[in-house]
Amino acid sequence: MEGLLEEIVAKYNYWIYVVLMMIGFYAMIAKRNLVKKLIGMNIFQTAIILFFVSTGVKRDAGLPIVDKDLALAGAIDVATVVNPLPHVLMLTAIVVGVSVTGIALAVIMRVYREYGTLEEDEILEKIGR
Amino acid sequence: MKLLALAATLLTGALLLYGTADFPAWGDPQSPASTHVSAGYIETAVQETHTPNLVAAVLGDYRAYDTMFELVVIYCAGIGVVGVLRRVRE
Repeated sequence: MEGLLEEIVAKYNYWIYVVLMMIGFYAMIAKRNLVKKLIGMNIFQTAIILFFVSTGVKRDAGLPIVDKDLALAGAIDVATVVNPLPHVLMLTAIVVGVSVTGIALAVIMRVYREYGTLEEDEILEKIGR
Repeated sequence: MKLLALAATLLTGALLLYGTADFPAWGDPQSPASTHVSAGYIETAVQETHTPNLVAAVLGDYRAYDTMFELVVIYCAGIGVVGVLRRVRE
């Protein structure tokens, strides 16, 4: 029990993101409303993005904006700057996520216009299944 | 049905938490993500690109094509939205 508690304290970021991911995953597979499903997908995505950003963190390190003169002299201590690569790659992921969300919202609007409802079972009833 | 969904969610979460046992602790400067290529970027990015903001240096200098095609992704999404929402006159 003591070991588990220490494990949680040392890695609490992963625990938070796993819980956040579980919320989003449950919303995606259990909710019947299409908008709620989409919100679940966004929560899921946020959990993954936060997870990757958190892998770049170094304790007591500063922003990845460095002193130019110091850097040109080659005197940057790597441990004092957080890892910039996860941040950059997650910017890309955010862009893709926004695109997917936009398309999904458009499709949801179209579905509502066509069937007059966003509830999954009512739509399935209307298309005769 | 909801019970099945809850069971699947809890199972996935438990597996992920089991997987975190091998992960480095929070804020560890010696974690694998921070020791291999990223140290090289931090040390040489300013000499190679003259951009003090390392995120902007990687995004705009090292990965400029990636950033450009991100714009293509947004453009395609916009076209898709217009195509889905357009009302066709009968």
